[in-house]
Amino acid sequence: MIEVETLSKNYGSFAAVRGLSFVVRPGEVLGLVGPNGAGKTSTLRCLAGIIPASGGTVRIAGHDVAANPVAAKRALAFFSDEPRLFEYLTVRQHLNFVARLYGIANYEALAGPLLEELEIADKADELPGALSRGMKQKLAIACGLLHSPQVMFFDEPLTGLDPLGIRRMKDSILKRAGAGAAIVLSSHLLHLLEEVCSHVLILKKGEMIAAGTLAEVEARFSNGEVGVGLEEIFIRATGGSEN
Amino acid sequence: MLAALLYLQLTSLKNLLLSRLRRLRQPKYLLGATVGVAYFWLFFVRPMSRGGVRAADVFGAEAGVRFVELVAPLGALLMLLIGLLAWVLPTERPGLLFSEAETAFLFPAPLSRRKLIHFKLLSSQARILFTSLFFTLLTNRFSALGGNTLTHALGWWVILSTLSLHTAGAVLTLTWLSDGGVNAKLRRAVLLGGFVLVVAASVVWVWPDLRAPTGSDLAGVNPLREYLLTVLNGGALGWLLRPLKLVLGPFLAKDPVAFLIALGPALLILGAHYFWAVRMNVAFEEASLGVAEKQGARIAAWRAGKRITLGTPAKGRRPPFTLAGTGRPELAFLWKNLLSTFAWLNGRTFRLSAAVIVIGGLWLERHPDWHVQQLTIGFGAVIAAGYIMLLGPQLARQDLRNDLVNADILKIYPLPGWQLLLGELLAPVVILSGFLWLALLTIALTLVPHGASMAWLTLGVRATGGVCLALIVPPLVALQLLVPNAAAVLFPGWFQSGRTRGGGFDVMGQRLIFGLGQMLVLLFALLPLVFAAVVFVAAFYWLIGLVAAVVLATAAVLVVLAGEVWCGVWLIGERLEKMDLSAELRG
Ligand SMILES: Nc1ncnc2c1ncn2[C@@H]1O[C@H](COP(=O)(O)OP(=O)(O)OP(=O)(O)O)[C@@H](O)[C@H]1O
Ligand SMILES: [Mg+2]
Repeated sequence: MIEVETLSKNYGSFAAVRGLSFVVRPGEVLGLVGPNGAGKTSTLRCLAGIIPASGGTVRIAGHDVAANPVAAKRALAFFSDEPRLFEYLTVRQHLNFVARLYGIANYEALAGPLLEELEIADKADELPGALSRGMKQKLAIACGLLHSPQVMFFDEPLTGLDPLGIRRMKDSILKRAGAGAAIVLSSHLLHLLEEVCSHVLILKKGEMIAAGTLAEVEARFSNGEVGVGLEEIFIRATGGSEN
Repeated sequence: MLAALLYLQLTSLKNLLLSRLRRLRQPKYLLGATVGVAYFWLFFVRPMSRGGVRAADVFGAEAGVRFVELVAPLGALLMLLIGLLAWVLPTERPGLLFSEAETAFLFPAPLSRRKLIHFKLLSSQARILFTSLFFTLLTNRFSALGGNTLTHALGWWVILSTLSLHTAGAVLTLTWLSDGGVNAKLRRAVLLGGFVLVVAASVVWVWPDLRAPTGSDLAGVNPLREYLLTVLNGGALGWLLRPLKLVLGPFLAKDPVAFLIALGPALLILGAHYFWAVRMNVAFEEASLGVAEKQGARIAAWRAGKRITLGTPAKGRRPPFTLAGTGRPELAFLWKNLLSTFAWLNGRTFRLSAAVIVIGGLWLERHPDWHVQQLTIGFGAVIAAGYIMLLGPQLARQDLRNDLVNADILKIYPLPGWQLLLGELLAPVVILSGFLWLALLTIALTLVPHGASMAWLTLGVRATGGVCLALIVPPLVALQLLVPNAAAVLFPGWFQSGRTRGGGFDVMGQRLIFGLGQMLVLLFALLPLVFAAVVFVAAFYWLIGLVAAVVLATAAVLVVLAGEVWCGVWLIGERLEKMDLSAELRG
């Protein structure tokens, strides 16, 4: 469960995110969309507690991220757009390291299937330097999923994945949502939103333009027309009313 | 082509300077810069405008001149060692290091390998020019050297450029050696063996001319100087150092004419090095069939999205110990950070060294005619321990300083700041404590007191003292490491790029502030404690016995030190938790 109230983030005097409020319940997948620089990454990083918010509150599984970061972080996983790894740890050692941080006793039993599922099992003893970008991403995902988080944040989860990987990723997101995880993802790929998201939130210049279920948002921007594609909706919502 | 590279260099430099200046808007960075500039001005610029601090003032008029005579051979020896390190240090398959952006822009560009090497050499020039300037200001203070600012600057440029070219040449040669085609192993063995042979031969050649200093040599500064001059200038070592002295020539020239004369041979050597580094490329391509293909494959692999990993580890390593899934999470950082260092920094090396020290120490103890050597080793260990204590925390950086690049992921982990920091501190604490314990062991085994006046230093007392010292070492090292790690938390902007880009007034100021801080922490943490402990032992040893008094005092010292470390870890951990990466790492 993710509860966000009037979240804002400033970089110096520049307001990247302004007064964002929303709730994501277990089993829901919220898609953050918006043009480049809209503040999606900033929002997600604030939600995950990587950077402090300038204002507002974020609660993850009931824990305030600012006041009780450890409990909140225990419940969440964050997947950045650029996989961040330790260059001197092998794939297996990454999982070993992360397992200890989260205190997962039987991590070997979990890590094997996870690596199989992500199809990097044969690279288990390689260093990140020897992995392709997509494989690195998969490793980062494996590290994040190891502790079975109830809350997940994905920043551009599909970049760098092959078609099969994309399908697996979608299935995997749906599977975790089905198991009761609350998920927020940002993406420019509108078909991803259509296929996996239960809700969307459209951001522009740090402000929320629209939010709700996919159908609601569609209804709002279709002006009564039928069969308006998501792409058209996105363009109407973000670009059409330029300033 | 060259214009494009020059443009790249200059704009990068400009942007770097701009971003540095922008960072100064934050008061803490401004303070660092102010301290740096003030130091620089006070110690380098001002003395120069006053005509320099005369070395003669420091060493006495005559000694100043005599001291200068030693500069050439000692400098040459230092260069020889640096040159050797360039051959010894690189890992199995070293490469010229390009930044990721450089690989992104330059490797797919239509540039030959030779041009890439040129680019590398060119980009090192920026640093060399800056360093030459800096060293010139430094050495200008010693007017006994002769010459003027210009000859010094050019002299430094020649020296630094030669060293840089030598390193580049060595790296390329080593790459070539280890890349050699089919039976690479054999070739490597033969060629590396050859290299070892050359070094060994020079040592054997030089050896007979070396003689250990006798008592009269060490009687004063002048005899020592005479001794060093005979050893360094005479015999085979003199010959070995001769070409290196040529490189030093322009810098040491007393006047412009001498400078011009010395410049010729120095430039010749520099040119030969340049030729070597650039020609290495051809040798590389021609040496083995298939290398070009490999190169192409590598670039193709890069084009397919794989990162080129020059200089980064190529193979995973066995972990230092098995890390279970549960337990203190701090140990996970120890485990990870130990994996980031040299493979030989492990428990086995430690035990092996300890065994060698014990066996050697016992052997020396039973051979009284080796008494001098025994003492030399003992005092050497004392000095080494001192250096490790003072410089170790700056060198062993397997902590937050190296992990700031990954600050993003550190922030995700469900650990409070203090735990994160404690975990990050463990690896350098373990490494430095290991070295210090070995030094202590050496000291304990070699500095054995003889004579009646020392009779109170029984084996029991010595053993207790040694163990107590060994116990104090880890918290003390941890306390010292807190200072640079505090710096990393307070000034992340300086540390993120710290490994690749030194220099800059703010960074210099920061180094000064924190170097000084480290000393002060050591002093403040230790002096009162040692004082209290000594008073305690002196007051109570007759009551409860020396051993018991020492043990009690150590226990108290340990409690206080642990408390200090804990406070530091907690405070800095708090800061770490509050740290706003977005504000620090961009500007
Ligand atoms: N550390 C920072 N310092 C200053 N400004 C920043 C920082 N990080 C982001 N910004 C600015 O904040 C705004 C939002 O950036 P953000 O990365 O959140 O956008 P985004 O929606 O993720 O964009 P994209 O779709 O390109 O990923 C941008 O204008 C960006 O320039
Ligand atoms: Mg983004």
